[in-house]
Amino acid sequence: MEDQRFLEWSVESRELTKVYGKKIALDHLNLDVSTGQVLVLLGPNGSGKTTFLHLISTVLKPSGGTALVMGYDIIKQPLKVRQVSSISFQDPRGFWRHKPSHILSFHASMYGVDGQERKRIVEKTLKDFELWSSKDTKFMHLSGGQAKRLEVAKLFVYKPKLAIFDEPTTMVDLDGKGMIWDKIHELKEEGSTVIVATNEVREAEYLADKITILAGGKHLVTDSLGNLKDSVRGGDVVDLEFALPVEQRVLELIQGIEGTDDLKVVDTNRVRVRVSMSEDWLPKMTDRIHDFAKVKSIKVTEPSLDDVFLKYTEESRGV
Amino acid sequence: MSLLSFDLREAFDSISWVVYHWVYFAFQFFVYGALISKLIVSLPNYLFYYGTGLLILVSFNVASWSGRRFVESAHEGRLRYMLSLPMKRSELFLEQIGLGVVVNLSRVLPPLIVILWLGGLYTPIALIGSLIILTLVTIGITGLMVSLSVIAFKSFDIYSAIVAALSAILIRFSTVNYPLISMSQGYSDVSLANPLTYGADLFRYGLSLDTSVLLNPALAATVVIALCVGTMFVGMFFISRMVEGVRSS
Repeated sequence: MEDQRFLEWSVESRELTKVYGKKIALDHLNLDVSTGQVLVLLGPNGSGKTTFLHLISTVLKPSGGTALVMGYDIIKQPLKVRQVSSISFQDPRGFWRHKPSHILSFHASMYGVDGQERKRIVEKTLKDFELWSSKDTKFMHLSGGQAKRLEVAKLFVYKPKLAIFDEPTTMVDLDGKGMIWDKIHELKEEGSTVIVATNEVREAEYLADKITILAGGKHLVTDSLGNLKDSVRGGDVVDLEFALPVEQRVLELIQGIEGTDDLKVVDTNRVRVRVSMSEDWLPKMTDRIHDFAKVKSIKVTEPSLDDVFLKYTEESRGV
Repeated sequence: MSLLSFDLREAFDSISWVVYHWVYFAFQFFVYGALISKLIVSLPNYLFYYGTGLLILVSFNVASWSGRRFVESAHEGRLRYMLSLPMKRSELFLEQIGLGVVVNLSRVLPPLIVILWLGGLYTPIALIGSLIILTLVTIGITGLMVSLSVIAFKSFDIYSAIVAALSAILIRFSTVNYPLISMSQGYSDVSLANPLTYGADLFRYGLSLDTSVLLNPALAATVVIALCVGTMFVGMFFISRMVEGVRSS
């Protein structure tokens, strides 16, 4: 079952489409996921994140297009795809009478982990996910957070080449979230490619090497967090405090700098400027006004991922 | 650990539930069966006929349970997990069949031994032969019910209504409770189109019941085997083609 091939892309989707009746859940999605990276899928409810994850894990069949997972076609080689990938679902359900130890043990055995090794890894995983004391509690008696941790834990008894997590920390408390994020990082360091779908911006910031934003089943953008923040025009906020009251001439010089999006005088000595890419803008600003004003302090606030998310989703809705 | 053993662990989670089914069978046979056999005088030894019909009914009910369980697993979100596991869709289908067969054996084995013993028919060969026929009936009906689950992926309510109606028709218009020769013409004509009739008569033929009231065993065996093979193919086709388009509720 072990596959030793190395590929540049763990997932390559081509015009991947899923239609439910008249509703287009995923619309000709083209998306590549680099091997060994954590890709976070961000998008509002109904954006197609879960549908995409179900398609690449062969739980659903596409209505059009296809995708390669570790080089295997999800339509022509679904069994191969399932052998190299594993998915943790959004809402853990359906194991009512089973116990966590049985569920993990079964999952491991399905991926060929047997005997003492299976026993050892199940015990370790239960302890890592703070489920050891509940190992013999029936699934139906677990709390929502415990059930979710168990769902995520399945992917750690057999570390797949492609690990897929659908909202891995919903229902989980703050300590649990941190633990799950650390475990996902561990998984990546051990060589797995990871895809995480989430609505939580903080989760995306913590986990992502790259972020893909989906909306209405369409692919809006894929880039690193830094590049996405830079792409927000006027997203950086620079607060300048001058030693003396700022003159009109200085304001005009700042206004004329490339990258200045908006300028607002806060009081006689302070100005707030919205700029694109403050790291490029600041040297230009200091050069330009050097002879006319003395800057007492500079404070730069970068756009948050919330701003990035809103920018792209609002653009897609034509707001 | 296979999916079958994983599911069996759940199915046999409660031993008292298994025992309950045996007790229920005993009550049906020794109380209700004994009473009704006093009313039916046209058929000698009706109690034995009734008991064997009851075993067919148990197999039918287990097969229906297997189909419904599969449908529920889709609606509960469990099916999508099974679909994500590294196994072929045909294996998944066969596992559903296997689960039905093992659960059925657990339900019918003790009552079957008692009935064979009471009828003075108990031999290892009679026991094994009876179990094989009951297993074939279970496979055929499970395949039918799992195939019908395709309807449930569109509407669970429609599936429930169809299965309830179909079950009632299959049981009433069959020789599970009464032989063909005791039925009116129209009733027996419909019963002859029912595969359960052939399963029930084949089972009784194997137990050496009065063969004058039973169908030709070669014909009955052909129909039962055709039912098994046919529903297996149809079920596998549906599972491989249809099930991946399903969204859990």
